Amino acid sequence: MVEVVLGTALAAIGAGLAVGMAGLGSGIGQGIAAAGSVGAVAEDEDMFARGIIFTALPETQAIYGFLIAILLLVFSGIMGAAKNLPVTAGLVAIGAGSAVGFAGLGSGMGQGITASSAVGAVVEDEDMFARGIIFTALSETQAIYGFLIAILLMVFGGIMGG
Amino acid sequence: MVEDINTIVTSMGFPSMEAFIALLIVALAVIALIAVISTIRPVLEMYPYTYPNARVRARKGRLLNDKQYTEILESQNLEEVKNYLRGIPEYAKYIDEYPLEKALDTQLAETYNLIATIAPDNSKEVFHFLLKKWDIRNIKSIIIAKEAGLNIDETMNLVVPYGELSDRLNTLIDADSIEEIINGLEGTEYAPILEDALPIYKESGVLLPIEAALDKYLLQNLLRTAATPEDDNTAYLHEYVGNMVDISNIKIILRAKVDGLKFEDIEPYMISDGYQLREWKLKDLMESEDVSGVINGLEGTDYAPLLSDSLNTYSETGSIAAFEKDLDNHINEIAKRISLKNQFGLGPMIGFLNKKEKEIKNLKTIVRGKREQDLSASFIKEMLV
Repeated sequence: MVEVVLGTALAAIGAGLAVGMAGLGSGIGQGIAAAGSVGAVAEDEDMFARGIIFTALPETQAIYGFLIAILLLVFSGIMGAAKNLPVTAGLVAIGAGSAVGFAGLGSGMGQGITASSAVGAVVEDEDMFARGIIFTALSETQAIYGFLIAILLMVFGGIMGG
Repeated sequence: MVEDINTIVTSMGFPSMEAFIALLIVALAVIALIAVISTIRPVLEMYPYTYPNARVRARKGRLLNDKQYTEILESQNLEEVKNYLRGIPEYAKYIDEYPLEKALDTQLAETYNLIATIAPDNSKEVFHFLLKKWDIRNIKSIIIAKEAGLNIDETMNLVVPYGELSDRLNTLIDADSIEEIINGLEGTEYAPILEDALPIYKESGVLLPIEAALDKYLLQNLLRTAATPEDDNTAYLHEYVGNMVDISNIKIILRAKVDGLKFEDIEPYMISDGYQLREWKLKDLMESEDVSGVINGLEGTDYAPLLSDSLNTYSETGSIAAFEKDLDNHINEIAKRISLKNQFGLGPMIGFLNKKEKEIKNLKTIVRGKREQDLSASFIKEMLV
């Protein structure tokens, strides 16, 4: 068993925050979008494919969180080669995890609400599909900001790279 | 760098780096908890509405548009109207099963039934109560049919196969008198209402007291069911139902003034505890000298500005139809406003039900218009809402 030093333990908290918070937002958002899509499919079977697309959109936040969590686990020494991460780098890891986690929480829920509304608009008027996708994709930006900052923190905070 | 951090941590009074980190993690956990709770709560309030609203919006998308209305209006006869409606999935299944107007009413009843089934728990009770509308409509139709001496088949064409009484409809239709109908309703909430109204009916010979007593029961209890809003959604529902009640009261008062009736004559039919119009206000309105006095008496409520413009039309024609149209438009506007303001809650359901009611009303107007051979498409179009 790997002996975990404080810095590495802090990175583990960061990984948990990354995947936990992003997954929470993504899960709630996807649940809302899926509930709307099920309602749309119940009325119009042709909505199945479009419902799946809108429901899949809030998945990305969980993917960002998952990626950051994996990177943290690998570069902190929990997975792969044993490595003693300094405490300061461990604090940076919490920052990185929080960045992608909280951004994913807000973005996922927001995207789920928009996706559900877009499904309603598309089932009412088919021509709304493209515009619905654009509106739904807008909420993605916050998650991308969080993901980018998490990567930058890991690169320049001494976790990844040098 | 580590030394710098250690110095800062020590200068802040922490005995060790570990103690500082522990505090940091606790603070982070608290912030996370606050963020999660504050963001999730409003989202969870929307959650129960996403499924029903998607279904409702799908049906809203299938409501008749202007082009379709024009095409139906251009039908040469009722058979062409039927053929057109056979092409619309919502109506197709009922068109060949029932006479045209019953088919339209049955589709509307099915819509109410769907909304009551899919509505979230906090508003289910109101929508379920609203289903009694079909029981009341059926009881009224059967009583009217008995009075008019219609046979069983003709009476059957007037009732809608929805509502809690659907399994008793055959017994009620077979009844020979109103007393037998009341016996057939034994054990339901309608029997005592009809028993109370029966002596007045027997004395006056008109069915109005029985019809008005049933309508009053529906609206009064609907308002009571919606009267304790739990959140924004149920508050909107209360507003909608409350306005329906007030408008019903105003219409009764206006008709009473035209017919020269006294407050005592119409009091049994009024819902005493309205939404904006409380009992004292209703009495005040009834004590007005004439229709203009009633409109002036509404000053300070939402209804005065709606009705004041139609005073001239009333003076010219002596008909209160313009007021009734204004009031119906007001309900439509409220439904539209709620559906726009409360898009993630009950709004779409209220908006859709209102639009569906309008669609059925318009289709029935077209059907009646087509039945009268002389009415032109443009004339019927003017009567649509």
